[in-house]
Amino acid sequence: MSVPSRLRTPNPHLGAYYGIVTSAFVSLIVLLAMFEQLGWSRPVLAQTMMIVPLALYLLVAAGSRTREPADFFASGRRVPPVYNGFVLAAVAIGGVGFLAYTGAVFFLGFDALAIGLGWTFGMFAAGVLFTPYLRKAGSYTLPSFLGHRFRSRSVRIAASVMQLPPTALLLAAEIKIAALIASLFLPVSFSFGVVLVAALIATIAILGGMRAVTWAGSAEFLVGAVGLVVVVTTVSVLLTNLPAPQLTYGETFSALHNAEITAGLTPVQPGDLATALPGAAPLPTVKPFLQPFGILAPMDFVALFLCIAFGTAALPSLLVRSGVTSSIADQRRSTAWGLVFVALFAMTAPAMAAFAKLIIFRDIALSPASSLPAWLVELSDKHLLQVADVNGDGAISAAELLIARDGITLALPAAAGLPYVLIVLMATAALAIALAASASHLFTLAASLAEDLYRVIDRNQALPRLVAAWAAIAATALAAAVFLVIADVDPLMAALMAFAFAAATFFPALLLAIWWRRCTKWGVTAAFATGFAVMLFDALFGAALGIGKAGFTTSLASLIGAILALAAGIAVSLYLPKPSQAEDLYREEMRDPGGETIYDRAQLRAAAAAAASAAAAEHEL
Amino acid sequence: MTTEVPVVDDYPARDRHQIQTLILAAVILVTVLSTVILTVVSALWFNRFGFLHFPIGFYLLSQGLLVFIVAMAFWFIRLQERLDLARSESEGLG
Repeated sequence: MSVPSRLRTPNPHLGAYYGIVTSAFVSLIVLLAMFEQLGWSRPVLAQTMMIVPLALYLLVAAGSRTREPADFFASGRRVPPVYNGFVLAAVAIGGVGFLAYTGAVFFLGFDALAIGLGWTFGMFAAGVLFTPYLRKAGSYTLPSFLGHRFRSRSVRIAASVMQLPPTALLLAAEIKIAALIASLFLPVSFSFGVVLVAALIATIAILGGMRAVTWAGSAEFLVGAVGLVVVVTTVSVLLTNLPAPQLTYGETFSALHNAEITAGLTPVQPGDLATALPGAAPLPTVKPFLQPFGILAPMDFVALFLCIAFGTAALPSLLVRSGVTSSIADQRRSTAWGLVFVALFAMTAPAMAAFAKLIIFRDIALSPASSLPAWLVELSDKHLLQVADVNGDGAISAAELLIARDGITLALPAAAGLPYVLIVLMATAALAIALAASASHLFTLAASLAEDLYRVIDRNQALPRLVAAWAAIAATALAAAVFLVIADVDPLMAALMAFAFAAATFFPALLLAIWWRRCTKWGVTAAFATGFAVMLFDALFGAALGIGKAGFTTSLASLIGAILALAAGIAVSLYLPKPSQAEDLYREEMRDPGGETIYDRAQLRAAAAAAASAAAAEHEL
Repeated sequence: MTTEVPVVDDYPARDRHQIQTLILAAVILVTVLSTVILTVVSALWFNRFGFLHFPIGFYLLSQGLLVFIVAMAFWFIRLQERLDLARSESEGLG
């Protein structure tokens, strides 16, 4: 029986819509810059700059509202590659990348480049290994794909449970970053900021599911990109006279080196990875920017790179977006566009860190402790910096300047002496990216809870499909908000743990499921269980047993977990009976680049069969 | 499970396409991964030279390798689409 293809034509006016969104945001920046010169107060400027884009995201989400399951879970499979690339990049980088990665490069310099390199290689590996085949399968969630691939409800449930740690950790990290920014620039406390952010992303996800997350996420990505480009380019012009920060920040290295020596920074020796990544609390800078392998030894660097790369390649929040494009070829292109945007950010973050370090260290070297620069006092008031002349020598050294890792990006425009509008613009950009990422993580987690746990466990399915998804989104957002109000989460460490979990569990499982014909449901279950057990052991007992100090770190644990999981999956698959013919044929169809999306065809045939049986029953009556 | 099983009967063309896809993916991933690891291991040596005021080891890890990975991604897409086209043409002929 042949089933006609569904028409999946992207909206031809998308370019115009997002052109209007970008123009409106640029106009807002220009208007507020004029109003700043006219004497508007800082709180009014900050609130206008941040709240107007928030209203815009809600408007886009409301315009994308839907009650069609195909739109709600897969955005109608008609998202053009570039727009999917926008959201993929926002999810991969997130607020954690925007603030914490830049901060990590500020503190670790050369050694932190492993993270940006890991994201880029991870996106590339996902595009080669996983996303085209997930697009052909067309399942709405990653556990659903694995369940269909192995014709097994237990695999589907296990995958849904495995998806909890990486997605929930990233969700918590992103909401924390967004709430932190809101509490710095809006008249709200951190706890209220958490509630506001959770409510906002839940509203977006409930209104239109994946469709609203995609279109609001595209607007958020554009706001984030405009904010980043305007501020970093302006700082680059001020410091190097050229508007190309990625190419010109090398010119500042000799001045940076001199400033670091003046501030008392000396080369350091490789240490322990578990304690090497900077924490969220204000810290002194200890390592010169350009010193290679000062804190991470080359093998630690490679381990961190591979952990982030495998984690990114198998991250459920990224892979769930494999079903939103119209074809396999479009899916490959969209991953490549996401890769382009991630690489551009990964090239820009070190420039931001180098500029911030140069300005901060140059200014403290020039100023006596009794008359600190105005921006330093201002950032101290926001708790982004702590400065004190501890030894009373009348000057501030690197050891006496404590800097909050996640505040570096926000501090850069202030330290460079830019107008207040540009300071808030950077915060608005970071907030936009954090919102795009957190909404995606929230939707991924909630969709899996509703589709893979509730609908599989409750055979009667008392709740309609979308109602179950709405309830799951609201409950997940509430749980994340309550958790963040109670617990103190370090966004960078939470993200590293999330990538490590994804690397140890989903990477080997997906590799076997997609690329190995002989893999069985027991093999993939063994792979999941092994990777999860290793990561759980590391998370619960690693620090307590002092393993971290011996070099057995989170990133290394994830690689060991991935290798053991791969071995367990292969051994169990070979030991137990071969896969069924149905599993074989599903895999072969998934690997075939032509033909219909497997999930959609099954849905259409099920609907046609239901209609036929209803008609037959009516005829008999 | 609502998914049903398709019928795939063009085995030689299917197997040839799958092997070519596997080889392409393996070669391109190993090439990129080994380039990254070699660069990391040789970063100290590369840093003796300069480019655009950057030490080359730093430049490669912060920008050069990223550009290389992006270029490889678009090249991979081109090659993979060629393989997919050949597969669909053989399917049409069959």
